[in-house]
Amino acid sequence: MKVLNMHEIRQKQEDPLNLRSLPLVMPEEDGWPPIESALRQQNRRGRLWKGVGGTLAVAATLVLALALLLGQRFESPATDTPEIVAAPVVQEVESAPLMAPTLESLIAMSQQLEGRVRLYREQMGDLNSNALVYQVELQDLIVQVDEELSMDPGSRELWGQRVNLLLDVTQLYESSLRRDYQQMASL
Amino acid sequence: MSGSPFDIELDEMTLARARRGSLPACETVYRKFQQPAFSVAFRICNCRETAQEVSQEAFITAFGKIKQYRGDSPFWGWLRRVVVNHAISTIRRESKASTVEFQDFHVQADGGQEQTGLAMDLDSALGALGSEDRAVVWLHDVEGYNHKEIATFFGKTESFSKTRLSRARARLRELLDPDKSSLAAAR
Repeated sequence: MKVLNMHEIRQKQEDPLNLRSLPLVMPEEDGWPPIESALRQQNRRGRLWKGVGGTLAVAATLVLALALLLGQRFESPATDTPEIVAAPVVQEVESAPLMAPTLESLIAMSQQLEGRVRLYREQMGDLNSNALVYQVELQDLIVQVDEELSMDPGSRELWGQRVNLLLDVTQLYESSLRRDYQQMASL
Repeated sequence: MSGSPFDIELDEMTLARARRGSLPACETVYRKFQQPAFSVAFRICNCRETAQEVSQEAFITAFGKIKQYRGDSPFWGWLRRVVVNHAISTIRRESKASTVEFQDFHVQADGGQEQTGLAMDLDSALGALGSEDRAVVWLHDVEGYNHKEIATFFGKTESFSKTRLSRARARLRELLDPDKSSLAAAR
């Protein structure tokens, strides 16, 4: 007669019919595509809701983006390797008119912000780990929006979302810059 | 290790990204857990198509509510609870729709003829149980849930879980070795 060890005794008590010996069952179809499509719809609904509910936030973002464009136009040092300068938003924000952005202006903002992010990345290198996690998440969301844009390139709403996300990325770098500057100033 | 097929580690970064709504991160989570999720759904529902639907719905729910996961217990346990809840809701809905659970009394062979007095393999024997008995024995013996937890899933008392477990095990023994069971009954 076989003598059972403690582990086997416990297993016999917990699973007397040895159901755990049954293999895992694999689904016949890949279940991800319908899940992905449901999540995309949820994300879209969520973003739409935010868009509807947060009109003021969108307006503020628009003002900031306009200011960014204006700021860049006025401050550009016109060199091949421009230095990073924090966007002089305040003065322009106060006088910037509130208007609905056109598709063309959103695309232009998106391009400007892309350039700005590239510049930050080249000149500042890696962000600290917390900011890096956030940045990766934002980039993932931008990729999602880009995928949706590939199906609907004329969507003002999607371009607006892209601008918002890029603004979040630039703000990450700008916060990091401010922190570095404060640290240097305190020395 | 719990012994549950769900007991899979998920890195913090992927979890954080999934919480932020990153689809690539959600896909990573899905790929890691699709097999145990489908398996537990299949073992409870005993139907591939239903298991596929249940596991997909469960993942959509889980990703939609992922921010509610507080991180005070392993992620796999939280996700497994979502899948089990969906599976149990489904069998309860289905058992309400059908008045008699034929599987409690009859075992259908492949050819559609009744098969009695012959030993079955574990897989078929499990499939021959009534849906609630099968769910209880699987959740207890394989997934390691206690009676209190199982009772909560079903919205019933602990004695419901204990009775079902004992009945399910007895029925499985009978199906696996009918001669031995009839001898024991005769004694």
